[in-house]
Amino acid sequence: MNLEFTPEELAFREKIRSWVAANLPKDISEKVRNSVRLSRDEMQRWAKILGKQGWLGWGWSKEFGGPGWNAIQKHLFEEETALAGAPRVIPFGPVMVAPVIMAFGSPEQQKRFLPGIASGEVWWSQGYSEPGAGSDLASLKTKAERVHTKDGDKYVVNGQKTWTTLGQYGDWIFCLVRTSSDGKPQTGISFLLIDMKSKGVSVRPIITMDGEHEVNEVWFDNVEVPADQLIGEENKGWTYAKHLLAHERTNIADVNRAKRELERLKRIAKAEGVYDELRFRDEIARLEVEIVALEMMVLRVLSAEKSGKQSLDVAGLLKIRGSEIQQRYAELMMLAAGPAAVPFDTEAMDAGWQGDAASGGFVAPLAPIYFNMRKTTIYGGSNEVQRNIVAQTVLGS
Amino acid sequence: MDFDFSEDQDMLRESVRRWVEKSYEFERRRKIVAAGGFSSEAWKGLADLGLLGLQVPEAEGGMGFGAVDAMVVMEELGRGLVLEPFAAVGLVATRLLRAGAAGQPLLGRVASGEAIVVLAHEERASRYRLGHVSTRATGPSGGAAACKLTGTKIVVPAGDAADTFIVSAREEGKNSGKGSGKGADADPNGVALYLVDKGATGVSLRTYPTQDGAAAADLVLDDAPATRLVPAGEAMAVLEEAVDIGIAALCAEAVGAMDALVALTVEYMNTRKQFGVPIATFQALRHRMADVKMQLELARSMSYYASLKLGEPAAARRRAISQAKVQLGQSMRFVGQQCVQLHGGIGVTDEYAVGHYFKRLTVLEMTFGDTLFHLGEVSDRMQNSAGVFA
Repeated sequence: MNLEFTPEELAFREKIRSWVAANLPKDISEKVRNSVRLSRDEMQRWAKILGKQGWLGWGWSKEFGGPGWNAIQKHLFEEETALAGAPRVIPFGPVMVAPVIMAFGSPEQQKRFLPGIASGEVWWSQGYSEPGAGSDLASLKTKAERVHTKDGDKYVVNGQKTWTTLGQYGDWIFCLVRTSSDGKPQTGISFLLIDMKSKGVSVRPIITMDGEHEVNEVWFDNVEVPADQLIGEENKGWTYAKHLLAHERTNIADVNRAKRELERLKRIAKAEGVYDELRFRDEIARLEVEIVALEMMVLRVLSAEKSGKQSLDVAGLLKIRGSEIQQRYAELMMLAAGPAAVPFDTEAMDAGWQGDAASGGFVAPLAPIYFNMRKTTIYGGSNEVQRNIVAQTVLGS
Repeated sequence: MDFDFSEDQDMLRESVRRWVEKSYEFERRRKIVAAGGFSSEAWKGLADLGLLGLQVPEAEGGMGFGAVDAMVVMEELGRGLVLEPFAAVGLVATRLLRAGAAGQPLLGRVASGEAIVVLAHEERASRYRLGHVSTRATGPSGGAAACKLTGTKIVVPAGDAADTFIVSAREEGKNSGKGSGKGADADPNGVALYLVDKGATGVSLRTYPTQDGAAAADLVLDDAPATRLVPAGEAMAVLEEAVDIGIAALCAEAVGAMDALVALTVEYMNTRKQFGVPIATFQALRHRMADVKMQLELARSMSYYASLKLGEPAAARRRAISQAKVQLGQSMRFVGQQCVQLHGGIGVTDEYAVGHYFKRLTVLEMTFGDTLFHLGEVSDRMQNSAGVFA
């Protein structure tokens, strides 16, 4: 047992660090560090820089054109990019749908879809949740009926998806759809790739309580989807979606970004004069301990993956703790700003804003971020659903 | 970076676990508690396993093992709620004895189980501050039993079973403050470490059991002859390191105790029926168990962290150890309280093991600095960057 990276791992970290320093545009990292809004183009710009290097799919095997990194190298890449202030990679393409296409898609589908994901050219969205299917995702109702036409088989899709993050930018969307109502709800679900420019797809914004347009409703009205955009077998979509969850383990804790935001919290607390108030600083200290403990838990999972000697079934714990910590640093940043966080100054969150720093500036986004972060304990399987899963594992009943 | 145990460590764990299961089952423990909390037979058992010399150099008759080996042993002793002060003697005192010429001759005797040596540092007014000492040394510093100590130490481990005490006291002429005011008691630079034999004149013990059933004592020194182990100026660094070793050990002990307590609670939830069904079926209780599991795994992570950081330079080591103690303190309190709650009425009885785990965890939280004390340490030592490798 030891806590040191190997010389090879340290050299790898150094390689990533210097590459990021040379290639991450300063204008973008400055915005990330100060929670200034990023445009679609800015997010795409970074994605394409990574894509050109072959690192947008940093978790991909060499077989599919990825770097073939092991668990620790992936972690180091995530850490270096996060600490440098890189925007979070929009995960729906490279992290979420690509592994499903690799594992269950046909060679034709792999050839057709993976290059656009790897380069960052094609923006993917996720179509899982529905108004009536949140934590109980398997109760989803969006229907896909297979029909035979002279141009070949098609699915006709009708229904509504919701909470589609950044769906306003999406080129394609991967959806769980109902293809059968026989048997258990889970057994009638299929995994379908849909071009968002298809006739009958409409995207409507949902404005969240922070005033931002981050999520959307996506409506499907008799949308025709060629049958060759079905992944794997019909009615097996639930299994494929679960495979995806099983492969998305340590990154859900988002501990690297938490370390970056903890530094920022200390900067804000110092600037606002509360760092020297022991009552406030002790709260930061408490959060620091939580972040170190979470990082150790993540490292334990990575070590177990690397050696294969022990199995650590703590994905649920990582999600719960990681999301709680995200909420906590957002809360403390807002509280550090105190009354200066109260004015709702939405333009102050745009690039190039030259307004009065006393009422806005770097404090303007703090309350909106706090409001925004309430999502983290709700999405990705609410923390209550995660507790059900953890309890099942611990109790064995 | 590797969190797997070696084969040797697995074997060490297995041998300690077998000894605990054979020689320390719950009824046996109950008898030891009734007899004062220390069993010479159990102590001999620990010596026979070689544990008392675990971290004594091989040249001195020990095994010369490292921090992770100690962690493995402590997890197993914690699982069995072993009362005898293995960490206090085998880990903390041996570190201190190695720090001065006067301590070297004792190492072999500690390793063989012949001599029980413990640190006596806490005072009624010091709380958890190691440098806050009112016990005073007078007379020349050199030579055997050349000076005299006066003062009172509290909650000294092992009670009447101890043979020799390592006592923190103010060395004559080394204090910045004058007189006996508070300022003089708080100066860490004036603190030295001394060896005091139990049988010496002017040494008296007031023995008592601790809340968890272990043996302890207040040590009253009235012009008691003492030999200086480490002089003022050097002693604090040694004392801090030894206490950090003790903290890492008790973190591991707590993880073992919590592991056993959670296993008991899981079993109970799956068998205890109310309203016609096992209570493990109730979501309110299932979610509580998920929270308990969270605290246990965070604690285990930080226990590893504590042991693996013991070799760092003092500033980084102290910060890491305080971070670990904050996590462990929170975890111990939550897991202890909630496992009693999940048991319902049976959980508050003396008859059942759960309450004994809870009491042990409570005492561990209050040993070497409680959660608030160490939170203050973390808060005082924070840097701009934080993290496992910061």
